[in-house]
Amino acid sequence: MIHNVALLFDIFPFTGWIETTALSVWVRESPSLWAFPFVLILHTVGMGFLVGTNIALDLRVLGFAPRVPLSLFEKFFFVMKIAFFINAISGLLLLIAYPTKALTNPLFYLKLTLIAFGLAQTWMILNQVIRKPFVEMKGIPAKAKVVAATSLVVWAGGVTSGRLLAYTYKHLLAG
Amino acid sequence: MSPLEIWLRSTYLSQMMHTWWAWPTAESLHFFGLSLLIGTVGLFDLRLLGFAKQIPLIALHRLIPWGIFGYCINVLTGLSFFVGEPDQYLYNPSFQIKMVFMSLAGVNVMLFYLTMFRRVRVLGPGDDAPLPARIIGGASLVFWIGVMTCGRLLTFFRPPAFHWCPWC
Repeated sequence: MIHNVALLFDIFPFTGWIETTALSVWVRESPSLWAFPFVLILHTVGMGFLVGTNIALDLRVLGFAPRVPLSLFEKFFFVMKIAFFINAISGLLLLIAYPTKALTNPLFYLKLTLIAFGLAQTWMILNQVIRKPFVEMKGIPAKAKVVAATSLVVWAGGVTSGRLLAYTYKHLLAG
Repeated sequence: MSPLEIWLRSTYLSQMMHTWWAWPTAESLHFFGLSLLIGTVGLFDLRLLGFAKQIPLIALHRLIPWGIFGYCINVLTGLSFFVGEPDQYLYNPSFQIKMVFMSLAGVNVMLFYLTMFRRVRVLGPGDDAPLPARIIGGASLVFWIGVMTCGRLLTFFRPPAFHWCPWC
């Protein structure tokens, strides 16, 4: 039986199997604050730094804080990388804890798409603006500003679709 | 229920928070506001600590109004949650500790502007912030991460399972 139009095959046997693994059971059911709550905290703090640094970058490209040298903004990409790493790991653990909940919700795929889109835009800004020395003299191209403005919307959408996962799921567990 | 809770629950805002859309919308805004705050204040704190030292602090400070904007979003959405379900927050140890972190962060900000801002604003590329300013920057990061941690832990310490009321 196909449970979700976004999926071409029945994923319940697969997600149901993940839910029986020791890691999934531990993250989901352990009463320890170091299990589910800690993973959730990591995912939130990581989001703050990843999305936050991207917002700061977009604002800079749009013309705010003009005295911050664009080339030096690359230093903050280190913060983004650490935050992304934390969120990839914590996100994977949350997915392993509740695979059915996420994979049967179209918003989960929207969230992943928006993150991929947001990261691609960040990469574009890095290569087309931050690493182009002439931009500092000639001004930021209008195209880059469009990318930065779109990026703000994309990250806001990513945060929103992530937050809505808690309210819009159809199936919590396969079992 | 205390008179305060009864009154809060009778308000229009409290009723509105129980519509199908209000709570999820406010939550989404709360998380976006959080990102605005961390992306501006958090980066400024990192610079105080000596990260990305070639960026003049005063240049980075121009992003702080966006952090204040995020803070305002979060105060408004946070108040909406509180008015929507007052007892879930009032008697929640995680919420009480979150408010302690919020207060510490507030005092920290005041300390910064009253004692350090004059010395920090004149610093150029490559200059180290004075030690007290660095301590304030580090404390700011700890306090805001504390606020986020307690915010996330709220759900796990809710009444009736938990009922903390030191003032009762």
